[in-house]
Amino acid sequence: MEKRGVPTVMIATDMFKQFGRRMASTQGCPFAVIAETPNPIRQLDPEALKARVEAMLPTIIDGLTLPPSEIVRRIKGVASEQIRPAGIVRSSVPI
Amino acid sequence: MPPAHVVLEADSVEQLLSRAYEHAYENGWTDGLPIIPATAAGVQEFVAASGRAREEIIGILPPRKGEATVEVIAVNAIMAGCRPEYMPVILAAIEGLSDPNFSLELMQVTTNPMCPLLVINGPVRKRLDINSGIGCLGPGWRANATIGRAVRLILNNVGGALPGVYSKSSFSSPLRYSYVCGENEEDNPWTPLHVERGFKYEESTVTVFRAANYHNISGGEGQGADEIIRHIASQMPPMFGAGDGAMLMLGVNHARSLYEGGLTKRDIQERLWKFARLPVSYFAESFVEMERHAGRCDGKTVWRCSSPDEFHVLVCGGPGPQDVYIGAGMPQTRTIREA
Repeated sequence: MEKRGVPTVMIATDMFKQFGRRMASTQGCPFAVIAETPNPIRQLDPEALKARVEAMLPTIIDGLTLPPSEIVRRIKGVASEQIRPAGIVRSSVPI
Repeated sequence: MPPAHVVLEADSVEQLLSRAYEHAYENGWTDGLPIIPATAAGVQEFVAASGRAREEIIGILPPRKGEATVEVIAVNAIMAGCRPEYMPVILAAIEGLSDPNFSLELMQVTTNPMCPLLVINGPVRKRLDINSGIGCLGPGWRANATIGRAVRLILNNVGGALPGVYSKSSFSSPLRYSYVCGENEEDNPWTPLHVERGFKYEESTVTVFRAANYHNISGGEGQGADEIIRHIASQMPPMFGAGDGAMLMLGVNHARSLYEGGLTKRDIQERLWKFARLPVSYFAESFVEMERHAGRCDGKTVWRCSSPDEFHVLVCGGPGPQDVYIGAGMPQTRTIREA
């Protein structure tokens, strides 16, 4: 959607943020904005869910309103580490 | 990207093999088990045995959209311990897995341990010594062990399903090492799988299924056809993600008993559909609700499958009162084009 010009934010739990970043990267969007919340979320009641959403709102609003160049500037370092983590990662594929 | 060429030096053959294994492991090319190093000459031999061009793309594998060329498949097949003549089987399996209707991407990345199950039919079983009888899903047969392993290495190395990187499978599964068997057509009194799916009896095929588990069913012997099927159905409870379907690999004894009891395959499918149900009170309300929407609940019972068609009935394995139930579906069958 971002590539079609629609400002987009991905929502993921913290344990899936790297995965989300890599999947976005395979789709050509390595700098997608990811709003994260602690894993898991299935057990949360509506009130608790609402609190989680409110905690993510600043990231979501930034992601939908900031110019792409500013988003890339803010995310670049994090994205790079998430896609290619430092240290030993056994992988035959570019990650 | 052409495959990387690596020069390894050693003072002995033993040391060279050991270094090759260590090198492959450190680079993430293996499933953890030792590999056979793929040399240029070996790759050439495997490509020739495939009867296809080296650079031909057999599939684009998700999530990283890796190109599974014949050459790349050959490299992985060698590492897995295959013989050159297994290449056409692996190519056909990769073609099936790449079908847009198979949803390979989900399998590659999900937290669920689902994996490919390969069922092989036709004369190729004899030519390649693919086990379809005693011990067909266990260790001891090179073709069964290494064809599935080659597919796994391809899914990891080409598709990128590396655990913890692109694959988020919480537990993964021992079935991801290799899950391959032939159908025991010789002891199947009904139509074999590939004929049922529109192929000729004398054709060789591979059918890939999306499989979730392995469950052996013991017992039920000597009580008549109806009791055998009731016993089998009792081991097929409704399950999360049941929409894929259910496979029953009938052992030789029960296939014979059901056949002599006058049952067709369709009769077996219909009875399984009718018997593989449990009262709604056994389940969480949310699960019942989900199954009701999926057409697998009538308000009183939750069903394993929504229709008889979702049961795949095969004959495999050797003699004995044993059958195997696998949560499996989305079959894709491809002809094995031997060179």
